[in-house]
Amino acid sequence: MAENDDELEELGISTSLTRRQLVRRGLGGFLVAYAGALPKVAAAGVPKYVHKHYKNTLKIIQWSHFVPAYDVWFDKTYTKNWGAKHDTDVQVDHIALAQLPARAQAEVAAQSGHDIFGHLSPQAGLEDQVINHKEIIQEVTRKVGKVSQVGFKSCYNPKTRKWHGFPENYVPDPIHFRKDLWNQVGIKPSTWDDVRRAAPKLKALGHPVGLGMSNELDSNMLLIALMQCFGAFIQNAQARPAINSKHTIEALKMMRDIYKRGMTNEVFAWTAASNNQGYLSGRLSLAVNAISIIRSAEDANPALAQNTSVAPIPRGPVQRLGLEHVMGVYTIWKFSKQKTLAKRFIADLEMNYQGAFKNSKFYNFPAFRGAVHDYARQLAADPHKGKYNVLDLIARKYTVNLGYPGFSNAAVDEIFNTWLVPQMFAQVAQGKMTPADAASAALHEFKPIFAKWRGRGKI
Amino acid sequence: MWSTLRERGVSYLIVGPFAIVLAFPFYWMLVTAFKTNGDLYNLDNVPFTYHPSQAAVGEKLSFQHDHWLPFGFENATTSHITFIFSDTNYLRWVENTAVVGGLVVVITLLLAVPAGYSLARLSGRWGQSVGVGIFLTYLVPPTLLFLPLSRVISKLGLQDRLWSLVLVYPSFTIPFATWLLMGFFRTIPAELEDAALIDGCSRLKALARVIFPISIPGILTVVIFSFSLCVNEFVYAITFISGTKQHTISAGVPTDLIRGDVYFWQSLMAATLIPSILLALLYNSFLDRFIAGFTGGAFR
Repeated sequence: MAENDDELEELGISTSLTRRQLVRRGLGGFLVAYAGALPKVAAAGVPKYVHKHYKNTLKIIQWSHFVPAYDVWFDKTYTKNWGAKHDTDVQVDHIALAQLPARAQAEVAAQSGHDIFGHLSPQAGLEDQVINHKEIIQEVTRKVGKVSQVGFKSCYNPKTRKWHGFPENYVPDPIHFRKDLWNQVGIKPSTWDDVRRAAPKLKALGHPVGLGMSNELDSNMLLIALMQCFGAFIQNAQARPAINSKHTIEALKMMRDIYKRGMTNEVFAWTAASNNQGYLSGRLSLAVNAISIIRSAEDANPALAQNTSVAPIPRGPVQRLGLEHVMGVYTIWKFSKQKTLAKRFIADLEMNYQGAFKNSKFYNFPAFRGAVHDYARQLAADPHKGKYNVLDLIARKYTVNLGYPGFSNAAVDEIFNTWLVPQMFAQVAQGKMTPADAASAALHEFKPIFAKWRGRGKI
Repeated sequence: MWSTLRERGVSYLIVGPFAIVLAFPFYWMLVTAFKTNGDLYNLDNVPFTYHPSQAAVGEKLSFQHDHWLPFGFENATTSHITFIFSDTNYLRWVENTAVVGGLVVVITLLLAVPAGYSLARLSGRWGQSVGVGIFLTYLVPPTLLFLPLSRVISKLGLQDRLWSLVLVYPSFTIPFATWLLMGFFRTIPAELEDAALIDGCSRLKALARVIFPISIPGILTVVIFSFSLCVNEFVYAITFISGTKQHTISAGVPTDLIRGDVYFWQSLMAATLIPSILLALLYNSFLDRFIAGFTGGAFR
């Protein structure tokens, strides 16, 4: 048979497709398909200006929002309409949230990139690279009223009197818990002591609580919030490190107890997705996270959504006080060639925040409360029977900035981005350090960071 | 006949478990790509087959009446696969990856083949040291280099353009390819070139007519490895290019299919499985050459 094939091939008659022919034909097919796309380019029309339809170009980069519809609205509706009014081609690029810091550093190193950079936490460390955003703050304040405290303390540097960012939004950080499981153990997660008491029972049911102690955003936020509930803080109001306190030691003890009684060591390998995946899979009985969990459940598992309560962070012995889950901060680089347009864009977006609030499914809370007049009514009108009303309470009463009671300064920024707080908690939970030693060691690490930034005149 | 069958049986017994272990991740990816959210997130379900579940918003159970399908496939959905084609620029990413990979391979070959040959044949005792030195540059991670290279890319005006990747990727493909080819050229007997030189060929002619034709397996190995390195590269792809239409697969997939803290697992699996299959087919079409390349093709 093989011989016959060879003879036929010698005569130029192929009996079957060889591998190389397959590759060659595949390549040919690709080229034909590629050429077929050319008419599309021609159909785009004649540009108004040389090589472009609009006079100006404004480039924005921000995270890929967890609600895809938000990006669709922002990219294809809001920015297009705004661009048409301002003769500007607004180009929006998206990036995974974990890549934001690296991308920002790359743009700083290159001294070029986007005109507007959307961060997910205050960026006091980049103060020298950005313009003073005071002008935008003043304009928006005149139009919709004062900026929230969380926005003010996240983006303003009282030492240099500079707005190193524009607080666009913040995201309340509630707890999500399974009503059936918590009813079964007869406890409600109102206080951290409740969580400690319920944790072993829930673990015995096969549904541990999920509180991360890892080098990632959610763990960082949760653990700093837990500290606050115990009256412990990274710094005091005068920007002096305050980590080594009896309150911190109590918070460390609490977390160690919860871990030992009611969690598994997976919390040391927590990622930004772990809360969501653990909860949505039905494994976790409690998670501290923004509403992406419950919103995902509404789509993917309505029964679980029905069985989930959203509530404020548990109260500690001192107070009930959480953090924003993420803080949407827009910055304009000093090297931007479109500073005026960028300022205009940010101001317009904030002054008309209704669309952003609605299209983010109430994830983005406006940093200027007056930017969405009736948001409490809108929360109540959500089809899920008032489940989101509590976000208003959380936003107003239980949400403070990173670095509270001080400002979100560069030292706090560095401590946050080098995961020193989760590491402190993990050391204690794993039994490698006593709570007192861990708090003392943390202070030892914090001091040079504060000294460095104080030396640079930033705090 | 029996002995042939026995030999084959033994071969399959040895190779079979390896094949299963190696193919298993792909099988898992394939199964996951068609799962509904309800099925995927239910820990009581076996992850390798399909189970009845309530379809999530936007999920369409395309096969629900086809009860004859195996593994419970009537409970599968294609919605997450169609999502990557309808709601992302996936095909564009594949195209960009192919363009960048192709150009980088050409540049790599143009520089690494003569470099590898020179180091193997012409550089004497310094060749080995220089070869190791070149390879060491390959070990410098992109996480250290991306910041200074950002500046270079910016100065050249290549930000957000695929040309930035075409320029930077050879910085790791060339050292690797040079080192690999150097080893390959060493396996070719020098007598072959000597014979060609004695017969009147110049050095270049001897290279072109004698050495390169028998080096094809090694060169193909370089082609496929360089291309794979380009497909896998992430740090440069994500930092030098931000426009979704300019992304390669490695940057586009995590950007558009990991949204905040929500992972679109089924779409992620499909988006990574598709190029894996294409690459596997490409590998397979030149399999005999690669084997020759890995095992010293000069002695065929």
